[in-house]
Amino acid sequence: MKKKSNNLYLGDRQPLNTMGKIGLGLSYMVLILWTIAILWPIYQMVMSAFNGMQQEYIIMNKGFEFSFDHFTFLFEETLYPKWMLNTIFISISTAIITLLFVSFTGFAYSRYRFKGRKASLMAIMIIQTIPSFAGLTAYFTMYSIISDVLPFFNRQMMLILIYSAGGIAGNTFILKGYLDSISMELDDAAKIDGCSNLKVYKLIILPIARPMLAIIALWSFLGPFMDYLLPKVILTNPEAYTLAAGLFTLIADKENMNQPAFAAGGLLIAIPTVILFTVLQKQLISGLSSGAVK
Amino acid sequence: MELKLYDYIGNSYKRKNQYLHELATIEDEIAHTKGAEKSSLKKRLKELQANKANHPYIQKLQKYEEAEKQFLEKLKQEEASFEQTLKTNNARDKKLHIQYFKAAKEVDFYQPFVDLCYDAELKYRKAVVIDEQMKEVIDHLERNLKELSDAKEALEKLDSTKESEGKKAFSEKKKDIEIEYTKNLNSLKKKKEDGVISAKALENEKIQLVSKKKKDIDLLESTLIPSKYYKELIESKTYETTKAIKHKLAVIDDNESNVLRTTPIEIDKNIKWYPVASCLIPGFGQYLNGQTTKMILFLIGTFFIYFMALPYTLGFGNYQADGLMSIFTLADGAPKIHKSIIYMIEGIISLFLILISFAILLVNYKDVKTVSRNTIKGIRPRNWFETKRNIFEDGFPYLVSLPAFLVLLFIVIVPITTTILLSFTNMDPKHQSKFQWAGFVNYLGLTESDGMIGRAFWAILGWTLIWTLVATSLAILIGFGLALITNNERIVGKGFFRGVFILPWAIPAFITIMFFSIMFARQGILTQILNNITGLSLDIKNNSFQTRLTLIGLQGWLGSAYVFLLSTGVLQAISADLYEAAQIDGATAWQRLTKITLPIVLFQTAPLLIGQYTFNFNNFSIIYLFNSGGPFNPSVYGNLAGSTDILISYVYKLTMDNQQQAVGAAVTVLISLALMVFTFIGFKNSKAFKEDK
Repeated sequence: MKKKSNNLYLGDRQPLNTMGKIGLGLSYMVLILWTIAILWPIYQMVMSAFNGMQQEYIIMNKGFEFSFDHFTFLFEETLYPKWMLNTIFISISTAIITLLFVSFTGFAYSRYRFKGRKASLMAIMIIQTIPSFAGLTAYFTMYSIISDVLPFFNRQMMLILIYSAGGIAGNTFILKGYLDSISMELDDAAKIDGCSNLKVYKLIILPIARPMLAIIALWSFLGPFMDYLLPKVILTNPEAYTLAAGLFTLIADKENMNQPAFAAGGLLIAIPTVILFTVLQKQLISGLSSGAVK
Repeated sequence: MELKLYDYIGNSYKRKNQYLHELATIEDEIAHTKGAEKSSLKKRLKELQANKANHPYIQKLQKYEEAEKQFLEKLKQEEASFEQTLKTNNARDKKLHIQYFKAAKEVDFYQPFVDLCYDAELKYRKAVVIDEQMKEVIDHLERNLKELSDAKEALEKLDSTKESEGKKAFSEKKKDIEIEYTKNLNSLKKKKEDGVISAKALENEKIQLVSKKKKDIDLLESTLIPSKYYKELIESKTYETTKAIKHKLAVIDDNESNVLRTTPIEIDKNIKWYPVASCLIPGFGQYLNGQTTKMILFLIGTFFIYFMALPYTLGFGNYQADGLMSIFTLADGAPKIHKSIIYMIEGIISLFLILISFAILLVNYKDVKTVSRNTIKGIRPRNWFETKRNIFEDGFPYLVSLPAFLVLLFIVIVPITTTILLSFTNMDPKHQSKFQWAGFVNYLGLTESDGMIGRAFWAILGWTLIWTLVATSLAILIGFGLALITNNERIVGKGFFRGVFILPWAIPAFITIMFFSIMFARQGILTQILNNITGLSLDIKNNSFQTRLTLIGLQGWLGSAYVFLLSTGVLQAISADLYEAAQIDGATAWQRLTKITLPIVLFQTAPLLIGQYTFNFNNFSIIYLFNSGGPFNPSVYGNLAGSTDILISYVYKLTMDNQQQAVGAAVTVLISLALMVFTFIGFKNSKAFKEDK
């Protein structure tokens, strides 16, 4: 009786033959290997950040002793807190300015048929393909002119301007695409009820576009956060650096060299971003795939 | 001249000006006859024109004009004395009273002249509109003004005993409301416990109860407490005396504009020269057409052109340069501290200011031309009320995108133009402060594969292409393969694997790259492990081939997460029915993969995957942060670049480290052109662009 029940197959999938079983085993092997390939470096980073026995260089086989030394070093001996504040300031300003511009242009391009619309849309599309580093040489000169005329204008503001202006073109496209997918009947109804254009924008478009605006704001925030090239070029004073430019000095400059401190600093940034990206992965992807592409 | 007049929707009206009517009739006849009669008609026409002053209609018209002049003078005096009799001290009330008073007089005066000319008819009809509708507005305003001042007075003289009594009564009755609220809430909760309503319904009912309670309390408060009552009254009356009146006046404005649209204009003088005469001075034409407020708007344009753009272009108010000319001179012969690059940028700014000025002039010319042409046809020029509405309706998209475009112009387009122009100069280490135009020298230098710059360029271009193709394809292959395996229904722990596989995407790339850079250093952990496994003593960062291989692998590691995320989303959305149907038809697993899965995933993610190729083409971070573009290989690259440098990091090194801005600009232009073409091909078929017909 017992033997018989072993042979009984229950389930709505077909039983696996030998080849299938081998395939399934191989699949698991691939998945587990890739999991190791991803987790091992991260594990190394966490370990070096907390390993009190590591000194300036991260080297293997030195034993492990749990300590917060590297974090203390990071906050007391380096400009890390300053970099963090700089990054947050630049990122938030960029997000706000981009949003201000783009919410209007996206609205205008999606809802109105005006003269020169097609031509300017084409121009915007061409502009957005040109990478922002293309104006590198001019940025310097423009900065020196502006800061000479307006003494309060600093390099970080220049960076914010470059980021936000660079974001206008692409994000206008994304928002336009999103708004295009929303029926215009709502606008028409509001207009018949006597809403002016600005009221339609405020009462109809802004609430509807809020999810996409949030995504645009988030990406505009993350852009400066992740960028290395422009901060490195535009900001010359380590006091003004963003995280990406600042952390690189911890592994590239001979006198500032402290690799475990870099690991600690990286870890502190990675934790919130990983949480953010994991929770919002669907929304972040949808922002990319709607509008400009597809 | 036409026989009839037209309004904006094409309704035709007969001419009232008999002289012009005769003129038009003769002209019409001339056009339709031939030969000898024509000359006699022409003679009649000339006679008519010569005797214009004696024409009976013209004389009538002159009499009317004189009478009107007298009437207006009288009206002015009457207005002044009427103003004295007014008792109100509200400015708007006063103004409306005067308008109403004047309108009544105007109706009386203009009525006999309605058939004489359209101007009189217009003034008559406008006065009628005000005469009929203003009374109600004034009454409304005065009634509410009175109630407002009454309420204010009452609030000042508030009886404290009544106030405290009211408060007492309010707090008592408030309790009743609260008791009723708790009672209702409890009965709702009971219903929920009994299973009559769902939890969701309970929530909704609760929200309604709370808002009802709040409404009741507010109502109670304003009825029982006098101070609260008067405050609310003042608020509502203030609204009535300001905003509500504005709305009512807008209705009158609207009716007036309707009169304007349906009463044609008939003019005697030649106005065809208006557009040409005013084409250089925005605002002048609007003045000639009688649109004074619009004129002010255009005068701002004149001010911009003649007091900002033009002086700047001529060199006044520049930072260093001489306006537009500085593009050509590039600080040649200028003082020592002056820099060519500043001259170039200021020249470009001048150029754009000139372009903006031309745009303003064009808009102005078109505006004056349309208005003049319409006036000849019989359509009256818009008044300010209509123009304002028109600006906020049709001009809205321009108005709201203007700030964005200005920023785009100065922060994006001016620098890009500078780079393009810079690529035709000789800005190099020897010519930093002053440089000259050099034609295509930089581009030619890049194409010559035996020169130092050219040789490095071709080597870097080759590696850039290999890097872009191999690294991106590897990431796509890994990401898609993993997505496919994870999506297998027999795999347990999907959530875990998916969570882990997107980590490389979720951690900021610069951190991972820098950490891998540490681990691949000579003493780094990964190098040590590789050494132990292979038995070699590797020095990855000093070996071109090994660094390149590592970079490609690293990008595979980094980029696969994103592709994994994309393809997983698509795979999960594919209906299982498709596979079942295929299985029933006898399709093998391989066939199901290649005929169902691959086409669907590729079709949906293709644009984003193309984006991955352009991303890697420009992936400065990974190249620079991993090994700073090194290791160096002077025999191929000179000292300008390293053997893993891609074009963008090459540009960076040329511009930032070696002061070879001109060559860097040339490479930038080439990169941008390539990207534009590549993206355009991708975009041409995109939804966002196609739907836009």
